[in-house]
Amino acid sequence: MDTQQQLQQAFSDALGIPPEKVTDGLTYNTIPEWDSTAHMVLIAELENVFDVMLDTDDIIDMSSVAQAKLILQKYDVTFV
Amino acid sequence: MLSDEPVNQFTLSAYQVELLPMTQAHQALLRSWRNQDEIRRQMLSATLITEEQQQAWFKKTHLDPKQLHWVIKFRDQLIGATNVKSLEAGKTAEQANLLEPGLYIGERRYQGNIVAFAPTLAMYDFCFDQLGAQRFRAVVKRSNHNAMSYNQKLGYAIVEDNDLCVLELDLESYRQATAPIKQFLSRTRNAK
Repeated sequence: MDTQQQLQQAFSDALGIPPEKVTDGLTYNTIPEWDSTAHMVLIAELENVFDVMLDTDDIIDMSSVAQAKLILQKYDVTFV
Repeated sequence: MLSDEPVNQFTLSAYQVELLPMTQAHQALLRSWRNQDEIRRQMLSATLITEEQQQAWFKKTHLDPKQLHWVIKFRDQLIGATNVKSLEAGKTAEQANLLEPGLYIGERRYQGNIVAFAPTLAMYDFCFDQLGAQRFRAVVKRSNHNAMSYNQKLGYAIVEDNDLCVLELDLESYRQATAPIKQFLSRTRNAK
């Protein structure tokens, strides 16, 4: 599984949505499943999958799937 | 009885936000937020606030020992307002065991964001730990799902379930419910 698929699966698992709904345009608080509680579950899932520890600014700023990719790249996770 | 000087002298800083005592200089911004449709609709009084009403409200509240009002600063920007009020007769907000909280996030980009918990955590920590408050009581329209959900994530329990719901929170419930949120909002910078 490449990092793109890992990311998609992490979002799917954390938010409880089908993987095909996880697109770059998916944005925080625009679907009922991605509320503040799910956001914390998502952060924990991403940290576990990519073995990183996000700082608070990044947790606050992770407002979309596209933004998650940009943030994870700061932690040496690459997406092809 | 009103004080001779502004009662709120407490500047709080925690969880990435600063809470600054509300002053005259904040009133135009507060009024513009308070009059936003989506905020007004959720208030117990949904009417539009005039400039005169805002000034009259400020003139009283900043000298009222039963209330403490702050504006919320995040990343050098004011994003909302928060407050507590004493619910006990004859006791100031600093003396009361039972407090009623208020909060609104005026900046749309932070409404519903996890950072919206930060001012509440900073204020509740201060009230529980520094002022010695024992409980919070919130009154929320049942139709305000966001506020109901927000309060329940803080550990509030519903004690009266009507069109206007009454929710209460004690220190132990607050500590248990907010430990994960606090952990996410208290981290230092690690990224490269």
